[in-house]
Amino acid sequence: MSQRRVAITGLGLVSPYGGDLADFFARLCAGKSAVRYLLTDDLPRPLSIPFVSCPGFDPDVALGKPLASMMDRFAQLAMAAAFSAWNDSGLPRQAEGDQRDDWGVAWGTALGGTLAYEKGYRELWQKGRERLSPLSVVLGMNNAANAHISIQLGLGGVSMSHTVACASSAIAIGEAFRRVRSGEATVMLTGGSDVPQAYGVARAWEALRVMAPGDAETSAAACKPFSAERRGLVLGEGGAALVLEDWDHAVARGARIHGEMVGYGTTCDHSHLVRPEAAGQIRAIGLTLADANLNPGDVDYVNAHGTATAEGDPVEITALKAVFGDRAAALPVSATKSMHGHLLGAAAAIEAIVTILALREGTIPPTAHLAALDPDCAGVDHVTTARHGQPLRAALSNSFAFGGSNAVLAFRAVDV
Amino acid sequence: MDSIGLIREFLQDRLGVEPENVIPEASLAELGVDSLMMLELMFEFEDRFGVKLSSDLKTPQTVGEMVSLMDGLIASQKH
Repeated sequence: MSQRRVAITGLGLVSPYGGDLADFFARLCAGKSAVRYLLTDDLPRPLSIPFVSCPGFDPDVALGKPLASMMDRFAQLAMAAAFSAWNDSGLPRQAEGDQRDDWGVAWGTALGGTLAYEKGYRELWQKGRERLSPLSVVLGMNNAANAHISIQLGLGGVSMSHTVACASSAIAIGEAFRRVRSGEATVMLTGGSDVPQAYGVARAWEALRVMAPGDAETSAAACKPFSAERRGLVLGEGGAALVLEDWDHAVARGARIHGEMVGYGTTCDHSHLVRPEAAGQIRAIGLTLADANLNPGDVDYVNAHGTATAEGDPVEITALKAVFGDRAAALPVSATKSMHGHLLGAAAAIEAIVTILALREGTIPPTAHLAALDPDCAGVDHVTTARHGQPLRAALSNSFAFGGSNAVLAFRAVDV
Repeated sequence: MDSIGLIREFLQDRLGVEPENVIPEASLAELGVDSLMMLELMFEFEDRFGVKLSSDLKTPQTVGEMVSLMDGLIASQKH
C-alpha cells in the first residue's frame, strides 16, 4: 500500500509565558526562562523547588466551568491545547455526518490525573472521610484527556493514551503519524499534557535526586543541559497539541501547512530502568532517519532530549556522534528544556512544536545557561544563542524515557 | 440552606445555570445534569445534610422530584 504524506496543519499549547504560540517561540529564541521558584504551603514540609507552571491558565475561563469541572488539570491543559491546535488548523469544530469516523486522538501523559487521586488520598487519610466524589475515577483516569478531546471535537476514530514516562507524547505523536501515513486515519489530534505538582509526585521525583536545586534568585537558570555546572532537571506542567493530516486532504481544503512529519522510530534499551544506554538511542535515531528516508547530512537541527541530568546528557551526545559521524561536529543541537522545563508527558509535544517552528521560521532556539560546556558533552554544534535566517531542511526531536524507551520524531520544512 | 437552595447553588457553580431557572417543574436533564453530574449532586447532598442515600433510589427527573427526595430523606433520617 502506498504511503500518504503527513501534513502538520495545527499547533497549539498552553504557554508557561502566558502568551500565544508566536510569543512562546520568540521568548525561547530570546533565551528567556519560564522556570520560577515554587514554594508551596504544604505542611509540615513545603515543596521548595524550581518549577515551570502556567499561572495565566484559568481553566474556567479557557474551557467554561461546566467542562472544566469534569476534568483534572492535566485534562484541562490537554483540552485547551487541543482547542488551540484545532482552531489553528482551520478545521471546523462540529462533526458533519460521519466524515470523522476515521479521525482520532493519540495523547501522551506520564502521570494522568494525579491531582485528583492525591485529593482523594487527602480526603480519606487526612480528613477521615469515608467516601470520595463520584467523579474521582473519570477525573483521574489516564485516558481522560483523549476522551474529552474526542468528545469535544466529534472525532469517531481511535482515541488512545500513551504512558511512556518522558517519551509519552513522542510515542503518541509517532503512533498518530503512522495512522495518517498508512491511511487508517485522515486526521489525528495528538500531543501530551502533565501536571507534576501533586505533592507526592514532586516528592517522589525529589527522592530520585535528579532535580535541580534553586531558590528565588537562582531558579530561572537552574536547568543547564550539557553544562559542566548542570545539577539536574526542572519539572513543569503543560499541554501541547498538533494536528496531523493527510497531505492531500490538507491541500484540498487550502490548509496552512506548518511542516511535514516524515519519520518516527522507537526502541528500548532493555538494560536498566533509569540509566540510559547510547546503543538504544542510536538505534532509535537510525530507525527514524531510515523511516524518514533522510541521510545524516540532510538534518540541519536536533532538538535534544537534554534534561540536564548528570548521566543523560553525555549519553545523548555519544549517540548523536555515533549516528552523525563526521557531520556531528557541525550538527546544530539545542535543549530547550533549559527554558520551558521538563514537562514529562507534554515534553515531546512541546519540543515537537519547537522543532516544527524552527523549520518553519528558519530559526534555531538556543540551549540557555550553557556558558561552561561539559567536555563529555562536546562534539556537536551546541547552539547557545538563537540563529536566525537558517535554511533548515529537516530536523529531529529526541525523547529518551525512564524505563529505557527511546522515541525520535523527524520533520521536514515545506518549500525548502 | 434548604434543598432547593443547595440544588440552585450546585447547578450555578458547576453548570452555570441561573438560579431563577431552577424551578420545581424544570427537567434536570434539560438543565444539563447527566448521569455523572447527578451522582455528584447526590454526593454533595449527602455531604451537606449528613444523610445517606440508598443505592436503589429511583433517579429523579425534575428539580421538584429531587427536592421531594431530599426533603423526605432529611425528615426520615432525623429520627
